[in-house]
Amino acid sequence: MSTPVLLATPLAAAALLALVPGGRLGVLIHTLAAAGTLACGASVAVGVVRGDTVTALDGLLRVDALSAWMIAVIVVVAGLAAAEAPRYAREGSPRVFYPLFHLMVFTMLLAVCTDDVGVMWVGVEGTTLASVFLVNFERTRASLEAAYKYLLICSVGIAIAFAGTVLVYYAEALRQHGVVEHTALQGLRWSALLALAPALSPRVLQLAFVFLVVGYGTKAGLAPMHTWLPDAHSEAPAPVSALMSGVLLSIGAYAILRFKPIVDAAAGPGFAGRVLITLGVLSLAVAATFLWNPGNYKRMLAYSSVEHIGLVGLGLGFGGALGISGALLHVANHGLAKSVVFLLAGRIRAAYGTVELAGVSGLLRALPMTGRGFLLAVLALLGLPPFGLFTSEVMIFAAGFRTGHVAATAVGLVLLVVAFGGLLRAAHGMLFGPPPGTGAPSTGWFGALPMAAALLALVLTGIAWPPGLDAALELATRAVLP
Amino acid sequence: MTPITNLLTFFALVVTLVLVWRQSWRGRVRLFVVQSLLLGALAAAVGVLAHRPALMLVAVVFVLVKTWLIPGVLRRMAAGTPPRPVRPGRSAGIPLLVAGALVVLAYVVMLPVSGLGGSALPTRGAMPLAFAMALIGLFVCVTGRDALGQVTGFLVFENAIFALGVVATYGLPGLVEAGVFLEVLVVVLLMEGVVVQMRREHDSLELDRLQELRG
Repeated sequence: MSTPVLLATPLAAAALLALVPGGRLGVLIHTLAAAGTLACGASVAVGVVRGDTVTALDGLLRVDALSAWMIAVIVVVAGLAAAEAPRYAREGSPRVFYPLFHLMVFTMLLAVCTDDVGVMWVGVEGTTLASVFLVNFERTRASLEAAYKYLLICSVGIAIAFAGTVLVYYAEALRQHGVVEHTALQGLRWSALLALAPALSPRVLQLAFVFLVVGYGTKAGLAPMHTWLPDAHSEAPAPVSALMSGVLLSIGAYAILRFKPIVDAAAGPGFAGRVLITLGVLSLAVAATFLWNPGNYKRMLAYSSVEHIGLVGLGLGFGGALGISGALLHVANHGLAKSVVFLLAGRIRAAYGTVELAGVSGLLRALPMTGRGFLLAVLALLGLPPFGLFTSEVMIFAAGFRTGHVAATAVGLVLLVVAFGGLLRAAHGMLFGPPPGTGAPSTGWFGALPMAAALLALVLTGIAWPPGLDAALELATRAVLP
Repeated sequence: MTPITNLLTFFALVVTLVLVWRQSWRGRVRLFVVQSLLLGALAAAVGVLAHRPALMLVAVVFVLVKTWLIPGVLRRMAAGTPPRPVRPGRSAGIPLLVAGALVVLAYVVMLPVSGLGGSALPTRGAMPLAFAMALIGLFVCVTGRDALGQVTGFLVFENAIFALGVVATYGLPGLVEAGVFLEVLVVVLLMEGVVVQMRREHDSLELDRLQELRG
């Protein structure tokens, strides 16, 4: 199965779903499209890891092992979210929800499948545009405010990333002849850029990297550019929150990761790493502070995403094979855990009718299945063994000590413990205590299967790596290591 | 080529400064149109002088999108807003002062980069000017007190980055430019949807009213 098919599936589904009326036909097409995307994505990813990098459309699309890793995360999280989507689409207009959902999946896949840094930018910006209406799906005052902030802050952020991309083009144009005049730019391929990197101007690339980190860092939710994130992630319907928190943030981090080896090769290894470590520690600090005083459990989960993206930033900043593979593994683990926990938060909200932490207690007794799933997913997010996040966090911090960033690593660890305490305290209040008087509707076990599978996968990435994971991770890391 | 590009970019920067000073949204939309025309002319001039037919096409689309489609949406968005959203007694002195400082900052950042490698790039003198426009647009966006002001700032910022692309690289590949135009247009249209709902809910576009989400 080839890359164009992978991209065409969600795009065609989005177009089709915008045409057909909602109802059963809509759900059927949605289900088929989600399953098709999952199958194509898995097939492309496995093919690349087993074989070699594939290119298509004259090199515009290029899937290497790193893209394959991201594709796998995207299609799995999208599959989990899609399974829960019909409950929410019914509440509003399915003809808006389903097409935008698949459009969002398409733009995310485009961003990671392309080799052209300009098209990657278009893809990342497209994810914002596709999801604004989904954030405002419930059309309340709060969701409107969230959508406004999301649209404005992310558009400005991504425009800043565009300025960085322009500067990268400028660096490449300068290299060619010292003058731009003689050459018309025919697209700027990442693979070509990486090969040329040592010849590019270090000053221009350093400046470009600052713009790129601020810009894509806004999409990634790195502090201090994270201010839109808690609003948008808490107001969106659960499947959209799952997609946004689970994988969209990581795509911002992916874009930064693509540029880092180029900047490292041109400007020396220290610069990009220092920027990322600073932002990573800052994100951890912001999240740790907030997690001790959350009022709303969806916001709490959103801040937990800031924490985890900060960890990813630290891993990328520490660099080296261990740091980068730790960050990539963390992206996958966090994608699984956070999407499960957001989807369950959606069920909790449906049962309790509130997103306030104070209004939720006795979850384990009131909703045994949802409650247990929530407990497990929160334990995973806390980074406890046997879940995979423990492994990836150990890898990231080990990389920190090994590369000599002792102070940043130590501060990061302390902040991690603070955040741990805050999240644990809040989750404890939700899970235990007296259950509400009203009998909550029990949910069937069938709907819980995808989430149970995701939790099982998290245990596997924690204690027993399935065959091939090791090789895939190593290949993905090697794609961005000199 | 140097005098033409420098002059056009410089005029666009002056227009941007006037935009900081103007308070009424009608005036601001008009100034945005003027800025877009100047930058369209800049792209066309570079396209002609550097023999880039693709860039000329980009310039035409740019002018079409920025002086016709987007201002139309902005006017629809603003319909019914009093022309002066700002309370009287608030002078534009401080913002202008900040904008002036941003021009200096743009030179500090851009000069070492634009003169690199004994660069013979005839348009290099315009790079700090375009960058100054970008910084001022960002400033207008961040300090905007209502949705219209913030969107205007974003559009000015976006225009400036287009200008930076033109003078620094003689135009990005067509596919990327097309993507950028489409995205800006969609951002503005989405913004219109949000603004319409905002007016229905709050009866105003002032951002002080948006205080549901805290923490």
